[in-house]
Amino acid sequence: MRAIVVMAIMIASSQVGWSQKAPIEIAGGYQVEIMTSAICELCKETIERELTFTKGVKESDLNVESRVVTVKYNPKKTSPKEIRRHIAGVGYHADNVDRDATAYEKLPFCCKDGSHGREILDRSH
Amino acid sequence: MRSILYFLFIAIHATGFSQSIRGKVEDTNHQALIGATVRELGTTNGAVTDINGRFQLELSQQQGQLLISYTGYLADTVVAVLGKEAHYQLEQDTRYLQEVVVKGETTFMDDLEAKHVEVITASELTKAACCNLSESFETNASVNVSFSDAVTGAKTIQMLGLAGKYVQINRENVPHIRGLNNRYGLGFVPGTWIQSIDVGKGAGTVVNGYESMTGQINLEFKKPEQSERWYFNAYGNSFGRLEFNVNHATDLTDKWSTAVLFHADWMDSEIDGNDDGFLDLPRSRQINVMNRYKYQGDRVNSQIGVHFMTDQKAGGQLGFGFGDDFATSPVYGFSNRTNRFEVFGKTGLLYPHKPYMGWGFIYSLAYQDMEGGYGRNNYDGEETTVYGNAIYQNIIGSTFHQYKTGVSILYDDFAENFADSAFSRREIVPGAYFEYTYLPGDKFTLVAGIRSDLHNLYGTYVTPRLHLRYQLNDRTTLRASAGRGYRTPNAIMENSNVLVSSRRLSILEEPEPEVSWNMGGSLVTGFEMGDREVSVVADYFYTTFENQLIYDLERASELRIYNLEGSSYAHSFQVEAAYPLNDYLKLKAAYKFYDVRATINGELQEVPFNSRHRFFANASYATKYDKWTADVTLHWYGSQRLPSTLDKPTEFQRPQRSEAYPHVIAQVSRGFRWGSIYLGSENLFNFTQDNPIIDAENPFGEQFDAAMVWGPIAGRLVYAGIRYKIK
Repeated sequence: MRAIVVMAIMIASSQVGWSQKAPIEIAGGYQVEIMTSAICELCKETIERELTFTKGVKESDLNVESRVVTVKYNPKKTSPKEIRRHIAGVGYHADNVDRDATAYEKLPFCCKDGSHGREILDRSH
Repeated sequence: MRSILYFLFIAIHATGFSQSIRGKVEDTNHQALIGATVRELGTTNGAVTDINGRFQLELSQQQGQLLISYTGYLADTVVAVLGKEAHYQLEQDTRYLQEVVVKGETTFMDDLEAKHVEVITASELTKAACCNLSESFETNASVNVSFSDAVTGAKTIQMLGLAGKYVQINRENVPHIRGLNNRYGLGFVPGTWIQSIDVGKGAGTVVNGYESMTGQINLEFKKPEQSERWYFNAYGNSFGRLEFNVNHATDLTDKWSTAVLFHADWMDSEIDGNDDGFLDLPRSRQINVMNRYKYQGDRVNSQIGVHFMTDQKAGGQLGFGFGDDFATSPVYGFSNRTNRFEVFGKTGLLYPHKPYMGWGFIYSLAYQDMEGGYGRNNYDGEETTVYGNAIYQNIIGSTFHQYKTGVSILYDDFAENFADSAFSRREIVPGAYFEYTYLPGDKFTLVAGIRSDLHNLYGTYVTPRLHLRYQLNDRTTLRASAGRGYRTPNAIMENSNVLVSSRRLSILEEPEPEVSWNMGGSLVTGFEMGDREVSVVADYFYTTFENQLIYDLERASELRIYNLEGSSYAHSFQVEAAYPLNDYLKLKAAYKFYDVRATINGELQEVPFNSRHRFFANASYATKYDKWTADVTLHWYGSQRLPSTLDKPTEFQRPQRSEAYPHVIAQVSRGFRWGSIYLGSENLFNFTQDNPIIDAENPFGEQFDAAMVWGPIAGRLVYAGIRYKIK
């Protein structure tokens, strides 16, 4: 029980404590970290697959535990704003951009809020 | 001391937690899902289900959670069940229309199957973008594709060193490429229709009949319930060949679904790279349509489908086109028009509370005709085939002892005419079989089968088959098999390549059915190299004939056909290793040795047109989600014995052996959200057999022979295409 509470607090704090990150310059381009509402491996695949085929994105890696996707991109071809729009387009919140409701509806049940015991927390902040 | 060692062993084992689990992935109707991906969450551990939907996985964490996914189904995360084989059900995904995952293995060995079976999946099949079944094996080491002559363009396969006619090729467990289809049949199966191919080496199961002599290949076509809603493919190549494919799948009600598979191809250009006045490959056009329906009830599963195909080829000398009459044409012509119509289906009866029990009924009614000619000689063939197979399966006491039993019927009405020779026969063959499987655990399997068929022309066929599997450890599996096989040869169709010559057809005696025994074994193993695993497959098979119809080309003016008098056998050995160099690049290499001999012309000698030594190598590169893929495959064929031409005038004689040669294919593809585009080449090194036709200037003369072909006729081919999917 205690562990669950601790975990819930950790998850909650990881989201509540999140503020939109500014892109940083790396070798050969820029990198940005984006908080998503991904909750499982399948969400990871959906988001990474979408970003793989997004213009200007070189690489993406989503950490399921922290829900943060790290994206390397070419600033001449895309922007963090555009990347967030693509993530939202496949059904996931991306920082302050809300998910596309229709795309979310089509997600498999294991990627829906509450699945795997991982609630998507209140986003009214 | 011993107990201390034992304790140590346990202690070591416990620290690096490892627990082997087994399971079966199925849909809600208990249908096995083939090629589903099973992954241990939070690790890189994974497995792919085999043709029975089964998998085996080493868990690396105590509370293993599995992510099970399959295209078209809702992926699910479940807690791994330890200790026994668990069934995991996936629900069909009716809402989720976007492609999720599944970067599974493209070719894999079926771990729990008693037979030596390799599964070629749809994603492996996309590596050979063109065009039909004969190209589907290009990236596979076990099946060889060979060129047969310099006129008809027909490609045939070889397995275990013997011709493809000794392999039973089934479509969803109905014998498919046989009889009249033997020579051109691979070209009648569009590549875009195929979901997966199982390549079984050695004796096959008795359930599918007595015809498998060196192996059994089963083709699974795209299923209504598992396919994309729309799939388009367009293809064009530097020889002027165009292809167009459309697949459409849709649900009609919650129980009925349907799929329409359509293929059309067209090539009407004159390709004569070697300037011998003959087309390197014939003009061709084909329309091929299949419509299949599936009913999925709680206790009854049923499928029914219709298939129609029409194909036309025109080859020979430049200037001979579609519709020209070979009999009166001033130039040498080859023409063939094939029509095929088929109705097929299967019905299964399930017992939801007894998953091991079931009834199945498989049937097919097919009519096919061929009409055409070679030079001045006409060839016509006609075949009507009716096939039915009723299968019952159950257990004896416990699931340790399983069996399948049933009855089958084959009706085959066959007629062919060539110039002044005619063959016809009507085979009616009822049969019964029993196959027992002993499965005491996951380490050992024994499958023993026997069938008896009452052939109306050739008497009783008795076909015993035996398969053994023993899993030595987690990585190593040994298999052995033995069995008998029978088939009725079709003397003219099987020599259609020889018909493009001035040879006289001499059928010295009434052909008898061919009878063979096959036995062999295989070893599948692996070892660590760096932090990745090298997987190794080695196999040896021996085929020997009790009777074989010998096609003797040793006299240059004749094709002599007679029953084997003496011995005929094939030893085949293959070793294959695969290694993933990194996350993107996989390497595969194989060496193959075939010693194939038969008593031909009174002398036990090497069978012609067969390379004793062959190499195979493949490098396969794929970035995440197949955004970029690239494949290069090398086939190296060693020298082949050629039939004697010593009785021809000196200027028309040929060497006794062929050159060794490489055949390289390569392809690059770029993936998009909607599909992919691809660019590739066959025969990249542009190797062709010099001067393949003997006396090409006088095709109606006595020396003409276009069947002395051991290598590629057409040079480098470049192709490009596009695949578009709507989920």
